[in-house]
Amino acid sequence: MTRHRVCGVSEVASNAMKPFAMGRGTVLLTRLPSGEIKAVGSRCPHQGANLEHGCVTGHAYSDQPNVLLMDRPGQILRCPWHGFEFDLSSGESVADHGKLRLRRFNVEIEGDDVFIVM
Amino acid sequence: MLLIDADVHESFAGIRDLVPYLKEPYREWIERGAWRGFSQPFAYTSPGAGNRADVRNADGSASVSDYGVMRRQLLDTYNQTYAVLTGYFYPTMLKLQYGLSSALAAAYNDYVAEHWLAKDKRFIGSIQINARDPEAAAREIDRMAAHPQIKQVMLPVVDDIAYGHPMYRPIFEAAERHKLVIALHHTILAEGPFGMGLHYIERHTLLPTSMMAEVISLILNGVFDGYPSLRFIILEGGFSWLPHLMWRMDREYRQGRVEVPWVKKLPSQHMRERLRFSTQPAEDLTGDQWLKLIDLMGSDEFLVFSTDYPHFDFDDPRVSIPRSLPDDLQEKIFWKNGAALYGLEAPVQ
Ligand code: FES
Repeated sequence: MTRHRVCGVSEVASNAMKPFAMGRGTVLLTRLPSGEIKAVGSRCPHQGANLEHGCVTGHAYSDQPNVLLMDRPGQILRCPWHGFEFDLSSGESVADHGKLRLRRFNVEIEGDDVFIVM
Repeated sequence: MLLIDADVHESFAGIRDLVPYLKEPYREWIERGAWRGFSQPFAYTSPGAGNRADVRNADGSASVSDYGVMRRQLLDTYNQTYAVLTGYFYPTMLKLQYGLSSALAAAYNDYVAEHWLAKDKRFIGSIQINARDPEAAAREIDRMAAHPQIKQVMLPVVDDIAYGHPMYRPIFEAAERHKLVIALHHTILAEGPFGMGLHYIERHTLLPTSMMAEVISLILNGVFDGYPSLRFIILEGGFSWLPHLMWRMDREYRQGRVEVPWVKKLPSQHMRERLRFSTQPAEDLTGDQWLKLIDLMGSDEFLVFSTDYPHFDFDDPRVSIPRSLPDDLQEKIFWKNGAALYGLEAPVQ
């Protein structure tokens, strides 16, 4: 098991995917509305778009045609290319319940430091 | 082998056959020749002018309404277990005078019950409606649904209606209430994206595109989600396009679900669970092509055999489905898939 310090806690933003170097690669960090910090791979599992440019948004839902509702703000990532939706909590794609999923990393916080554990 | 024929076109000899079943004032209108019925906006090019040329009465005249001829040429010749009557008189094609249209639908339903359904227990009936007045259509469904041979509602595909529009919901509510299948069938008004083309052959080749448009409309406007026990069959609209539509719609849904979140499943999943297709016209595929296609569809439960009797592009059950297909697949196409859709059991001998 290896631990990489990737950034300070205050550097992680809500409603955005911020890139940080991790070894030779990049990891994206975001802060959920609950305060929890999530770390995911920077490449979209669909065709590999850089998810740093994705849009962090809410979850569109409805039980009635032509009525659009939104819940879970700040918890869904939409890819900058084709707009596939990913649940930042589970990493799963929203439309097909997880057939595609984000690469996720375990995060540990120690003091002011954010670590990725691999 | 047990056999369900999912698309059989009964008819009347002429519009005046409906007079005894029409309510006033429309009875009087039709009686005095105020309207002479639908006429297709093109000429048929087949030898039998739209029908098989051998569908004839004893005197040699073309037969369009003779139960005896149909029994001999279809039900008995192919030893059919059930034949689903689907008509080709679709009052929804009238674009005005909704009261007349709804009255014609009711009259036609009563005519078919008396002149066709009552004559042979092998017939399964469809309810004709005027879809342009969905509330009246729902009342007609309520009126006819108790008939023990009736198992479905016909939704005719015309040139200005896609059935996902919210105004059609009463039709789906009524069909679901009575556990009836929704069947989509083209009409003489059905078009492709640029109309009918300039030739009958263009128009006939384009028909599947109108069915694709209906499936897209129904799923993306929430009809499959809103009526979760409702089942659908596409009649005479082809089926080899289905893999494309599943792939295309799933991709569109993955990237555009946010606009239609009332759709809760991948469109392909909705289709596998709830949509069926009649086989005719079977496009003369080889056995290998059938197997590849069914593999691409991801289910062997989509297809329900049909002949389209008495129309000219009739499929013979002994030839149109290759005998090289595995027995269990043939059994699904000829019997099991249709029996499951319509809730039919093998008749007690
Ligand atoms: S590359 Fe991300 S959705 Fe296609």
